[in-house]
Amino acid sequence: MQPRSTKTTSTVVDPTAVRPPIDDVDEIIRTTPAEMRDVLTRLKAQGFSQLTDVGGADYLRRSPRFDVVYHLTALPTRVASIAEVGKPKRVRVLCGVDEGVSVPTVYDLWPSANWAEREVFDLFGIAFSGHPDLRRIEMPDDWEGHPLRKDYPVRGPARDRTPRPPFPGKENVGSRIPPTREAAERLRREINERLHHDDHQTSEEKS
Amino acid sequence: MSDHLPDWIGSEGNPPNFGDPTAVLEPEPYEVVSRSDDEMVLSMGPQHPSTHGVLQVVLGIDGETVKRAEPEIGYLHTGIEKSAENLFWNQSLTVIDRMDYLAPLTNNFAFCRGVEKLLGITGQVPRRAQQIRVMMAEMTRITSHCIWLGTHAIDLGAISPFFFTVDLRENILDLIEAASGARMNMTYFRVGGINGDLPEGFLERLDEVIAKFPRRMRDLRDLLQKNPIWTDREVGVGVISAEDAVAWGLTGPSLRASGVAYDLRKIEPYSTYEEYEFDVPTRTEGDCYARFLVRLDEMEESMRIIEQVRKNLEPGPIMVNEPAVALPPKPSIGLSMESLIHHFKLVSEGFRVPAGDVYGAVEGPRGEIGYYIVSNGENRPWRVRTRPPSFYNLQALRKIAAGNLIADVVVMIGSLDPVFGEVDR
Repeated sequence: MQPRSTKTTSTVVDPTAVRPPIDDVDEIIRTTPAEMRDVLTRLKAQGFSQLTDVGGADYLRRSPRFDVVYHLTALPTRVASIAEVGKPKRVRVLCGVDEGVSVPTVYDLWPSANWAEREVFDLFGIAFSGHPDLRRIEMPDDWEGHPLRKDYPVRGPARDRTPRPPFPGKENVGSRIPPTREAAERLRREINERLHHDDHQTSEEKS
Repeated sequence: MSDHLPDWIGSEGNPPNFGDPTAVLEPEPYEVVSRSDDEMVLSMGPQHPSTHGVLQVVLGIDGETVKRAEPEIGYLHTGIEKSAENLFWNQSLTVIDRMDYLAPLTNNFAFCRGVEKLLGITGQVPRRAQQIRVMMAEMTRITSHCIWLGTHAIDLGAISPFFFTVDLRENILDLIEAASGARMNMTYFRVGGINGDLPEGFLERLDEVIAKFPRRMRDLRDLLQKNPIWTDREVGVGVISAEDAVAWGLTGPSLRASGVAYDLRKIEPYSTYEEYEFDVPTRTEGDCYARFLVRLDEMEESMRIIEQVRKNLEPGPIMVNEPAVALPPKPSIGLSMESLIHHFKLVSEGFRVPAGDVYGAVEGPRGEIGYYIVSNGENRPWRVRTRPPSFYNLQALRKIAAGNLIADVVVMIGSLDPVFGEVDR
């Protein structure tokens, strides 16, 4: 299948370094796996009580290759009215990870990290050290590869394309593969011969 | 001898061979039922009518009491995020619809808002488009809650509410269909506005639904709210405290039923939400009944918003005046060559979005639905990460279920309102 139009003007290898003029979070913090745990512990102590999301991103040609993206929201941890909730502060933590490096888990800080980290592990292959139950969550347990990586093909892994065994009595029809010109010619000749033979016989019988 | 008995009964011959009765059957690879010391492991689902989709819950039970519940998900994983990365920006809206298939328009809403932030056109989206977006999002919220209430009631053995809610949903879906052309997966929103204006006669039909709505809600409340069977099943079941709800990542009605009034429409108003008068229903009990009441109240508040939008709806354009994003008006294509070329380029190549990353979120029927979108300056998103509210809400079942009765697991799943298109994506 031909790729669709892929004309590009300027492709940015590290989009997170480019900041558009927007204000979706109050602060963006960039860390490394070694410091990540300290940063998130400090943020939790500052009142970021909800781990809104943990996600991943793969920047194929960048070093470090992956980002683990944490979104935190500072919500009151008690019964609170709208005025008390106010406009909660949000922070995004980007943790750059290279292939084969594991990230410490934050499951003990926020229990909601459990499934989210499993999903990042499943779809990107980033391991979380200290996670109590690091299994695949979306893909089957025996799946090979991590589908959301950029070098993983969209239509799934290349499968073994051994042709199906032919149906009995139809050896001339290859499965999936169209017959070669010679095979098609031979088939057509055989069919014609049989037809003419039948015609001949029927005309003989009639006469 | 009666004739409907098998032949071998009462006959001289041996009964048919049912296999070697002494043979030991090999256990299935996934243990369905097993026992440890004082805990029995019971697998519920994934083919179960009350799990609202393909959810498997592995329950550790002691007698009738659930000691632990471990939901197993992933049976509906379709790789929507991967698909979206390989489509143009406006095309990816069509697959994003399919995540939360009960409320597709809020998915569109969140994604469009994120992309608009990246493009820097958030403030330029016309007022009429914003108002129609709000109206459609609130209609979607009601239709989604209708399905939740109907199926939740069926889970608990009450069949009639389903007919009431589906009738109401039908009326609203007719309106959405008139505007967008589809009943499910509407893709009515576009980056920069909406697909088409409201059709003729839409507002009159909306008035009919608005007039019918209070009566329907009263019927539903009469049927369920003070029904002793209903309250027996719901009150005090699946309690989660405010602190736990925040820590487990609950959002939306499930969080508000625990007492934290966190509603993005109120605290970070977007798309003219700041202009409307509505309350954020909040309860403090944190049980299934509180979640039920919060959602019921929310339906009425949604209708209040729709009424106000309908009253204040202003004429005007419905698409941003930004040729880089918006298609040229259809009549101009036949008249001007530039419009034709422009139209062709936008359809065949899409538009490019400046590089950067952004998080855009709206208040969906199940909670905060957000998109973390990364663009590298091309005509396709580099990464679309969904913040799925159902995923986090369902995860909290592990916290909620412990200590409850096994029969109440169904009630708790229903009260968390998961949609598996969104949980598994």
